[in-house]
Amino acid sequence: MDTPLNDNAPTIMHIDLNSCFATVEQQAHFHLRGKPIVIAAYDSPGGCILAPSIEAKKLGIKTGMRVREAKEICPGVIVRDNDPALVRDVHSKFKKICEEYSPWVTPKSIDEVVIDFASTPALKIGLINIGHEIKKRFRLEIGEWISCNVGISTNRFLAKLASSLHKPDGLDVIDHGNLKKTLSTLKLTDLNGINIRYEARLNAAGIYSPLDLFNAKDLFLKKQVFQSIVGHYWYLKLRGYETDIYDSKRKSFGQEYSLGKKTNDSEKLASLIMMLTEKMGRRLRASEKAAYGIHIGLIYSDWTFWHKGKKFTEPLYTTPELFRKIMHIFALQSGRKIVTKISVSCFDLIDIKYLPLGLFDGDVEKKRKTSLAIDKINDRYGEYVVTPALMMKSKKTILDRIAFGGI
Amino acid sequence: MNEKVFEKISVITSYNVEKNQVIPHKIRWQLRDYFIKKLSYYHKVRDGRTLLHIFDVTDGNLDFRLRFNSDDLTWMLEEISDGYTT
Repeated sequence: MDTPLNDNAPTIMHIDLNSCFATVEQQAHFHLRGKPIVIAAYDSPGGCILAPSIEAKKLGIKTGMRVREAKEICPGVIVRDNDPALVRDVHSKFKKICEEYSPWVTPKSIDEVVIDFASTPALKIGLINIGHEIKKRFRLEIGEWISCNVGISTNRFLAKLASSLHKPDGLDVIDHGNLKKTLSTLKLTDLNGINIRYEARLNAAGIYSPLDLFNAKDLFLKKQVFQSIVGHYWYLKLRGYETDIYDSKRKSFGQEYSLGKKTNDSEKLASLIMMLTEKMGRRLRASEKAAYGIHIGLIYSDWTFWHKGKKFTEPLYTTPELFRKIMHIFALQSGRKIVTKISVSCFDLIDIKYLPLGLFDGDVEKKRKTSLAIDKINDRYGEYVVTPALMMKSKKTILDRIAFGGI
Repeated sequence: MNEKVFEKISVITSYNVEKNQVIPHKIRWQLRDYFIKKLSYYHKVRDGRTLLHIFDVTDGNLDFRLRFNSDDLTWMLEEISDGYTT
């Protein structure tokens, strides 16, 4: 039997700040407003564009392009660095406003939140009215240049889709009344979670549009198209039912760095790896975890990639412990090619309260406590006040970044 | 043009109790006075335990990023920009 459309009143609101990194920069810097600007990881020609402003987007500049490509499109485009502290501040103000309307506010990334209004008194005001009010308050309480898209629906997937319909500064509702009409105006790749490859897979199964996907039978999606439960989830979420509620648990911590000056000098690389390890270790310890696994990835100047991960029997907690293991893996490279990018990560995490104690390594506990004490000193007096000697020459080389999907 | 400066400066501010807001009105940098027309954005950052108050302001011609250090009560001009590429 076919599942009918979810005809309940919408209770989910998805809010997405427009061109967040760039808009925030324009809010803070009055003279950047109304101009095509891009926020790039680095302002060198090869720097990756993290966010173009609304004006730059209108010219065809897209996220993921290189600065060089953006300058080919618009030679006068202004390139700015990312300002994580500023963006995080806007995020916290934006989340605080949303929390006044419902206790169930879930940040999906630095510029997106989902609000669940089920059983809240706010429902009586009406979600469209609340959406307009939130937009107004963002402008009044955060900054007049801050605009957002609001999407309202019965589940998170359709609410996000609604928020992407009229950019920038839109407010749209998708419910059982307009669902099919809305889907008929979209391409498959407009749906969140379907990229070009996924589209090809759907095309191979005879699905060419969101409406085709909507009309496909549950069993067909589950058994033939997706060949997993994912097909059933697509069937449900396109009908307005919730399938995306889950607690995501952190499974790893990682840092990466693109080298300004490419090198194969082992000492310099070790110094950078130490820097990355220290940052990663600080985050690991702050979340009260230790890791059993370590991974390192290197991109070379000839664009080849080498990576290796390894699991160990003893948990790693202090920066020296993590660094020793990373360097052990690093030494396994077959040659010494010129490196352009380094990434390190640790995985297979365990809560420190469950850390096993070794029978013969009595000073491990002491080292762990020393590591925590050093972290506290750095928390109090500023980042990298006390560091391993290997980092002396490269202090503050590794910049603060906001990861995609992170805060 | 966007230039990092990091020089101590003199600042005249006012405090609005209704809005609970401090607004810089005039800054003196390199013996020149700049009259602030607008506070574009205000936020706080921490450097260790030191609380820094960051004011992004404009005088209509230039944008300034001012930093007030709540530990030693000093003002610093962090950055100046005119919104052009060069």
